[in-house]
Amino acid sequence: MWTTALVSGISLGSFYILIALGFALIFGVTRNFNLAHGELVVFAGYVSYWLWKVWAWPFVLTFPVAILATLLICLGLQRLFARLCEPLELNSIVLSFGMAILIQNTMLFWFSGDYRLIRIPTLSQGLHLPGFYLSYGQLTLLFLSLTVIAVLYILMYRTYLGKALRATIQDKGAAAQAGINVAVMGTLAFCLGAILIGLAGPLYGCIHYLYPSTGHEITLLAITITIFAGVGRLGGIILAGWILGLAESFAVILFGTSWREMVAAVLLLALLAFKPRGILGKGEQ
Amino acid sequence: MSFFASKNTKFRTQGLRFHSVGLMTGLVLLILLPALVQSNNYILQVFTHALLLANLALAWNILGVSGSISLGHAAFFGAGAYCSAVLSLEYGFSPWFTIPLAGLLAAGLGLIMDLICLRLRGAYFALATLAFVEIPRVITDNWDGLTHGSLGLVGVPGLPSLSLGTWVVDFSASITASYYFVFVYSLVLLGLVRFLFSSNLGLAFQAIREEEIAAEAVGIPANRYRLLSLLLSAYFTGVTGACYAHLVHYIEPGLVYGLHFSAIPMIFAICGGRFTILGPAMAALVIYPLDQFVFHPLLPAGHEFLYGVVLILTVLFLPAGFWGGLRKVS
Repeated sequence: MWTTALVSGISLGSFYILIALGFALIFGVTRNFNLAHGELVVFAGYVSYWLWKVWAWPFVLTFPVAILATLLICLGLQRLFARLCEPLELNSIVLSFGMAILIQNTMLFWFSGDYRLIRIPTLSQGLHLPGFYLSYGQLTLLFLSLTVIAVLYILMYRTYLGKALRATIQDKGAAAQAGINVAVMGTLAFCLGAILIGLAGPLYGCIHYLYPSTGHEITLLAITITIFAGVGRLGGIILAGWILGLAESFAVILFGTSWREMVAAVLLLALLAFKPRGILGKGEQ
Repeated sequence: MSFFASKNTKFRTQGLRFHSVGLMTGLVLLILLPALVQSNNYILQVFTHALLLANLALAWNILGVSGSISLGHAAFFGAGAYCSAVLSLEYGFSPWFTIPLAGLLAAGLGLIMDLICLRLRGAYFALATLAFVEIPRVITDNWDGLTHGSLGLVGVPGLPSLSLGTWVVDFSASITASYYFVFVYSLVLLGLVRFLFSSNLGLAFQAIREEEIAAEAVGIPANRYRLLSLLLSAYFTGVTGACYAHLVHYIEPGLVYGLHFSAIPMIFAICGGRFTILGPAMAALVIYPLDQFVFHPLLPAGHEFLYGVVLILTVLFLPAGFWGGLRKVS
């Protein structure tokens, strides 16, 4: 049982990393908290669900469409964020909160409040390895998440573009002085974030019921992992994602399913209460 | 501001007269409403609820005026609703006793929130409050013996009738009595907020909001005052939650701890004007009926998009809010 929990925790955690990366990237580069993040993930999931269920597309082909759809919304969102006045972080929270309500209600209107799941039979089968059970779904989740993380790692740490992005995260002003076009970096961060959301959405639809108000939970996860990791640390996000996944997985075994929802919140609050230094340093700029 | 105001005194007084005439008209309309709609239950119900939400927005703004934005007031609302409902339903206490008690429980929760978020400012405080709601929600959800978990509490007793000599107010008989009860509560809260904001305490809150370090330098203990504004805000949010439980008679964790009751007071306060006294309440009295009478019949699913649109437009084009913007113009 414990090994199964370990495996499912790692696989869930890898998926959480995928979810948090987009949020962390957008926040790091542009200093905008995007509270509509979870709603966008759910939206991408719905797009994929619709193509798969109603138009009977193969599941894999729904990814590009989901990515394109989130890309358009994210670029629109970025235009709105660009018009905000100071204090930027607080106003971005309020603006994106309004955006989250808007997207949530649009989804409620189009897709209704029914619970929907992208049910792919092969994903729920699995391997009975000695000591634990590994479903193809978990394997896919693990494999895809790790691939995306690897690609993003190469982009961020092995290319010139990544260097420019990391410079913008560290210090916007200094990056601009060094000749980096900070506005373009912001747009780029939103594009990369949108691609990550477009990838995460359909996967989320495979492992979790889709309904309009579930986005809130995803946003909370992304915030927890991002703050846990500190801004701009890819390694920190990976560690934080796995810790959260494992903590949830073991909380289910120890206390029962109904307490799982509290894990992310308690982790975030404990972090803010006991180790606020890293976060506070940035908050008081 | 004061410099310009003294130059334009004439326009300013005209504007104020215009405002106060409008306000008096609104007040008289609200007092006469039950007579005007001839006890049309639906309209009265919507306005009772709108007044309740106005109270939430007013209570939220006690914290808002000191500069913090909370996304977690549903924690206080839900705790207040559950405290009063459990005590009156399971233990048979009178709601008149349990409603203030519910406020105290919510204030206690505010104290815990303050201990956790003490050093956080701005965006990080907002995010922490967003996460904070999960704690009372999941505890309520899992404490089956006391709260019946996610099934919720059905048949929460209504407000008992009041008798003053021969004059008896029976809340179970008509919605009009409930309407006036919430209306009086609104007036009391409004008076309190007005007194608070114009007192030295209110000035201290505003000083903390504008420049915390400077406020500390002139001798305002910022953390203590911030705690005080949080406790007052939590207390009245809890009381409003308790009133909600006794007026609606049914509560469940997903509802009273839902994002709805965290979002609504923030939206009304920001749209009406975060730094004004009346703005939040007026926004509640305009936007909620607009939602219920116009958008709800048009779009039964998804009518709440209105709140998102209003919030986005306010942040982008009217950061001071409608009432705040209007005051500035005059």
